[in-house]
Amino acid sequence: MPRLNAQVKLKSILRDYYENLEAPLAWCTSAGPAEILRAMGFDVYFPENHGALLGASRKALKYIPRAHQAGYAGEICSYLTADIGAWLMHETPLTEAYGLPSIPRPDLIVFNTNQCREVAEWFNFFGEEFDCPVVGVFPPRHLEEVTRADIDQVVAQFRNVIAVGEEVIGKPLDPERLKETLRLSLEGTTLWKKVLETARNVPSPLTFFDGTILMAPVVVLRGTQVCVDFYREALAELEELAARDVAAVPGEQVRLYWEGMPIWGRLRFMADLFVEQRACVVASTYCNSWVFDDFDPDDPLPSMAAAYTKIFINRGEMTKLEYLRRMVEEYRVDGIIFHDSKTCFNNTNSRFGLPRKLQEATGIETLSIDGDLNDLRFFSDGQTRTRLETFIEQLTMKSMSM
Amino acid sequence: MTHDKSTYYLGADLGSSFTKFVVIDDNGNMHFRRTIPTLSRHRELQSQTVAEIHERFPVAATCATGYGRQKFECDLRKTELICASAGVSHLHPVEKSIIDIGGEDIKIIESGPGGEVRHFYMNDKCSAGTGAFITEIAERAELEIAEMSDLARTSQSSRVINSFCTVFAKTEILGWKFDNVPIEDISRGIYLSIVKRIIKLPMRSDLPVLMCGGVVAFHPYLRDLLAGELQTEVQVVEDPQYAVALGAALLAQRSFATSMSEN
Repeated sequence: MPRLNAQVKLKSILRDYYENLEAPLAWCTSAGPAEILRAMGFDVYFPENHGALLGASRKALKYIPRAHQAGYAGEICSYLTADIGAWLMHETPLTEAYGLPSIPRPDLIVFNTNQCREVAEWFNFFGEEFDCPVVGVFPPRHLEEVTRADIDQVVAQFRNVIAVGEEVIGKPLDPERLKETLRLSLEGTTLWKKVLETARNVPSPLTFFDGTILMAPVVVLRGTQVCVDFYREALAELEELAARDVAAVPGEQVRLYWEGMPIWGRLRFMADLFVEQRACVVASTYCNSWVFDDFDPDDPLPSMAAAYTKIFINRGEMTKLEYLRRMVEEYRVDGIIFHDSKTCFNNTNSRFGLPRKLQEATGIETLSIDGDLNDLRFFSDGQTRTRLETFIEQLTMKSMSM
Repeated sequence: MTHDKSTYYLGADLGSSFTKFVVIDDNGNMHFRRTIPTLSRHRELQSQTVAEIHERFPVAATCATGYGRQKFECDLRKTELICASAGVSHLHPVEKSIIDIGGEDIKIIESGPGGEVRHFYMNDKCSAGTGAFITEIAERAELEIAEMSDLARTSQSSRVINSFCTVFAKTEILGWKFDNVPIEDISRGIYLSIVKRIIKLPMRSDLPVLMCGGVVAFHPYLRDLLAGELQTEVQVVEDPQYAVALGAALLAQRSFATSMSEN
């Protein structure tokens, strides 16, 4: 039984979304310029969402070895290997969930390497499979500051996306429609941010694990009224729970922050473990990755370029440190968990000393755990449980001694 | 039942290789200890041991720890890091760094005088550098566990196993054997590779360094080698293989005392 009404509502929203995907259809990375594609008249499908679905449905390990056979190594993105493996085996969880015979056929594929270079390889693979145009956006990477020149460079690449898209769809982009799409996107993403911010309440009405489910519309339906309406309702529900101090984790004693990818195939295991330990993971970089404050409907392309280039994963270590320092303070967390996701180098932020720097800067305790977004061969239930339980006890002892 | 009116507490450390039982009284004195294989064909060994303990002692509370703790009937479950810290602190109530080398992991604990865990670090998921690693490698090298420390002491070799992977490490040993590397150097090489993996974990060596766990009980030369690498004194706690189970028993006692005072 879902704890939140929003979780129930989400099921019908996702069913409508998947069942109604139609040509002309574009594929896009989750932090790519989806608004451009939607404004042009494309339905938009997001392979990363499919990758997460493969993980959450625990089907990933069935497909990953097939991708290895095709030459994709075990150390690269397990969204990519699970997704390509599933394709090569002619299967998708969308069949069982929504009756789709296959993943939807693209007329255009667009990716943005603001997250990683793997998306280029991944999306180009499908470009060849479907014999359809592929357009890449390659922004400057790992930036501390995002300059006007960086934004101009990305805007120029967005114009290229538009040019190719217009050719595919056979009509020009309507600037007013782009503005309207971006307005809806901004409204949706702002509401999503407020949903996440309800977790600032002590106790929190929301956990990171709820967030990984509730985030689906801001990824796949960003720029639509459906997305806006969903988060407006979800926000009302969560604000009401917060006002009554209803805790997502009964008896919340410890508040934690999750840095890095979710472990999709172990969401339930992790959520139960934290409840058992009376610890609530109140915030995460991951769920906040779809908060795009920079969107400006009156200045669509530059503001989108800024928003998509400024995402956490695309920033330098100092900017990441500052971001985490702010989150730790705003959400009043006692400790931060870094997930060392073995096949996601780009969204693993514990490998260049960030936990130690954060500890030195804020006094916050940190823990790194080994795992992966989809490849559970890199994850151990026993070792993870031992680390997390010890960490939570360490934080509890620390708070009792203060 | 052979004992008086005292209250007793059971600590059960269900490790990856062995299960250790310790029974203490209210004063923390140990009255019983036993080690049995965790995964044996004779699964009844565990229930028989538990039955024997309950027959002999009026156990007021039980705490289980180790990777098997979820499967053991008890009043309290704590991780082996929390228990190691409690057990070692009972014997050494000072600020300290604890190195616990177990069957499948290495743990470094910065521990307060009262057993509070201040920081901890564990090796990554691979078991290289742990008890299971030594057993596997020693088997390939045709070494008896009991003779390894004495053999290693006579070697001055700096040869070390490089591979993080236990399987590849066994292949390295195979190469050493083909090259007729003396058995003494192989023994020392196995220990050196473990020590190299321990010292890469963050540890405050300005604090007293104490070792516990089953591995150091059977491989005393590890302590000497580690002391040399860390350039500090390293002490092995009394009955190192029982330190974690002792900690569990102490935590059972504390938990029982708290619940009694609340009632």
